[in-house]
Amino acid sequence: MIKKIWKAEIIVPVLFILIDILCFILSRVSTGFLVEQVSVRFIRNGVLVLSLILPVVAGMGLNFCVTVGAMAAQAAYIISLNHNLYGGPGVLAVFVMTIIFNLIIGFVLGKIMNLVKGKEMVTSIVIGSLSNYLYQLIFIAGYGTILPVHNENIILKNGVGVESMVDLKTYKEFFNSFGSVKVAQIPISIFLIFMVFLLAFGMFYLLHTPFGKQVQVMGYDEKKAQTLGIPIDRYRIYVMIASSVLAGIGQFIYLQNIGTLNTYTEHLNVDTFSCAALLVGGASIRRANVKNAMVGVLIMHTLFVVSSIAGQNLFANTALGEYFRSFVVYGIITFALIMNLRIENKKRMTG
Amino acid sequence: MTPFLETKNLSKSFGSTDALSNLNLSIHRGEILGVVGANGSGKTTLMNILFGNSIISETGGYTGEIYIDGEKVEIPSSADAIRLGLGMVHQEFMLIPEMSVEENVTMGKEASSSLFHKKNHALGWLNQTKNQAFCKKTMESLGMDIPPKTPVKFLSITLRQFVEIAREISRNPLRLLLLDEPTAALNYEDSLLLLQTLRELAGRGVSILFCSHRLQEICRICDRVIVLRDGKQVDEYTGQEMRPDRMAKAMIGHTIRTVHKTASSSSGETILQFSDYQVAMPADELRGLNLSVLRGEILGISSLSGGGKSAVGYGLMGMFPSSGRVQFHGEEISSFSATKLMRQGILLLPDDRKQQGILADKSVTDNIVFTAFHAGARFQKRAAGLFFVKDKKAASAYASQMISRLQIKCSSPEQPSGELSGGNQQKVCIARTSAMNPEVLFVYEPTRGVDVEAKEKILELLVRMNKEEQTTIVMISSELDELVRVCDRIAVLCEGTLSAILPPDATEEAFGLAYAGEWTHD
Repeated sequence: MIKKIWKAEIIVPVLFILIDILCFILSRVSTGFLVEQVSVRFIRNGVLVLSLILPVVAGMGLNFCVTVGAMAAQAAYIISLNHNLYGGPGVLAVFVMTIIFNLIIGFVLGKIMNLVKGKEMVTSIVIGSLSNYLYQLIFIAGYGTILPVHNENIILKNGVGVESMVDLKTYKEFFNSFGSVKVAQIPISIFLIFMVFLLAFGMFYLLHTPFGKQVQVMGYDEKKAQTLGIPIDRYRIYVMIASSVLAGIGQFIYLQNIGTLNTYTEHLNVDTFSCAALLVGGASIRRANVKNAMVGVLIMHTLFVVSSIAGQNLFANTALGEYFRSFVVYGIITFALIMNLRIENKKRMTG
Repeated sequence: MTPFLETKNLSKSFGSTDALSNLNLSIHRGEILGVVGANGSGKTTLMNILFGNSIISETGGYTGEIYIDGEKVEIPSSADAIRLGLGMVHQEFMLIPEMSVEENVTMGKEASSSLFHKKNHALGWLNQTKNQAFCKKTMESLGMDIPPKTPVKFLSITLRQFVEIAREISRNPLRLLLLDEPTAALNYEDSLLLLQTLRELAGRGVSILFCSHRLQEICRICDRVIVLRDGKQVDEYTGQEMRPDRMAKAMIGHTIRTVHKTASSSSGETILQFSDYQVAMPADELRGLNLSVLRGEILGISSLSGGGKSAVGYGLMGMFPSSGRVQFHGEEISSFSATKLMRQGILLLPDDRKQQGILADKSVTDNIVFTAFHAGARFQKRAAGLFFVKDKKAASAYASQMISRLQIKCSSPEQPSGELSGGNQQKVCIARTSAMNPEVLFVYEPTRGVDVEAKEKILELLVRMNKEEQTTIVMISSELDELVRVCDRIAVLCEGTLSAILPPDATEEAFGLAYAGEWTHD
């Protein structure tokens, strides 16, 4: 009985690994290329996916507000550049600002989520979109008008608004200057991989503390949790803070790894991609763990790399390849969600 | 000497109904105070207030004062109650079914170790070995031996009750334990075990507030008993004054007539046949049952906990894997699911009120006719000659009839069912079953957690269904005294097989032997 349910939980990951293998064969890319691409993307996306775990465990569903955390990190980069902070000190400034911004954002989000209990997912989507427009307003119209400009290089020619593409090479170089290895000519920072694993371990640790246990209880049944003496409102705020801070760190790592910042669009799909990765790893909107996140990132990005090339090869058309990739990503979310819910329901019937 | 806990003019109302009014109560250290009362008399409300359950604050809070050790306290949440040294065993278990026994028992007091924090800090690493040992020790003190890793959802109701109790008695510090119907799911032997544990706790100075419908038990264990009726204290007894008959009368306000089934209406024809039927339900396994149910009879099925009685119906509902043959009207039932069986005319009413699915925000009427309307095509009429809509008149007539017959305590048939007390919700479930008018009805512990009078009403309805509608009833229960009053035959299971089929007038000795699996036909 127990064994059967456990098997059901790995159906989704196993299925997508099979699709990965199929696309890999169709794409005819070299293993070296795949390893390099996937490990770069693993660094980029890993922490963002980790940031989704706690809200899911706490019964608050997928936190689409990771976009807000990501935007805070982008803002930190722009502020740092604007104050002409480069290299090591710049990285430190960005990091500290990201954390501080996200502590505040997480607290506010937590307060809001406590007002809309039971509708956290929808609320987080709406807040995510709203924040996007606030963010755009600040950086399109704020710089050069209300906010002083100290670095002309990142500002548009007319003196108002931040450039749509900002160069972050100085930060990327800082990380590549120590502890990096070259895979197929592309340097990969060991330090950052180490950081992803450290945060993954941190999340794993957190889920195995009395706090983590009690958050799980909250996720299973909020009313019972309250009656058992768990301070649910306070814990929900902690959960949102942890999620936002991790999302900020995730985007911080992502951006320095890419080396450029698309000021107005970079954060747009982080929520959907991260959620897709977590779901592919076997998580659902009610249950998630570190293994789901890590496995999910690997499967999802392997698919992401090989699917478009496979599409190109299959249809002999570049545009179709791109289409194929988007189709796959959204297909993943829909399919994984439905599969996971079906398994959940079956479990509830037997439980 | 100041009592440990004292209440002054404690009152609480839900809307226009007074659930509790001006209660003055005191409990001394190490005292076991019994609280008895009919369903809806305010017992659970009293406990909810003392334990700071959210339902109280969400519905406007309470009035009056609570003193602990002579000091006035506010208990706005359960976390505060726990901090003050209170523990509560809930009638509707506060267990997380997906989690293991160990996780449930140690909840909120998990052992953990850390390099940076002091011992058992919320951010320390969970100490599995310590927690499991703690769980095992606590369960053993209750006379139970369950592997700590077992998920609670695989346990029978009896075992769940013990897990619920274990979680509360292992709190530290525990100064006052509130128990809401802790023995409702237990049989005689198991409840003795529990009572013994409570005595030990009281000996260590823990005060205990004990709510139960089992008046015998109250008399055996309590130092003092208060009787509640309609939210008011109507009587108080100590020592020799505590007698079940007096308490029952004070609870209800008049004497109760007990139900007895008269002549058998069975035709002797087999309607349902179990052959080598096996159900793999953990802790209550059924290992090959051969039994025929006769048309028109009331068949009782009983066993000690773990003997397999609850597996009979849960297997039919498809909740656990089963094998063997079950024939209905001579035709084999191929797939086990509650919905499919319902269409064929076999209805199952489980013992877990949560699973019976009271629709909390729907009215009492809607709840009573719900299944019959949707699955049984009753209470329907054609609107504009096209669509089937609910026949409100027929539905409300039927509902009022049921409300008066079962004496369901509600302000009106339109009151949301979630506002009713637990026992009254149980009655609504039974009324709903009756509206379905099934051919065969399986009921589990139909009187679990309801008061003495409601018990008789429910039994009366079952007997009436059997007599007037010729419904075949299979009643699965651990309350032998009820079974012998209403059943035509009683099948006793032991260790997952049929031990004996006894007539209701068999001697107690025969039943005792049958429970132990040592009954031989001579």
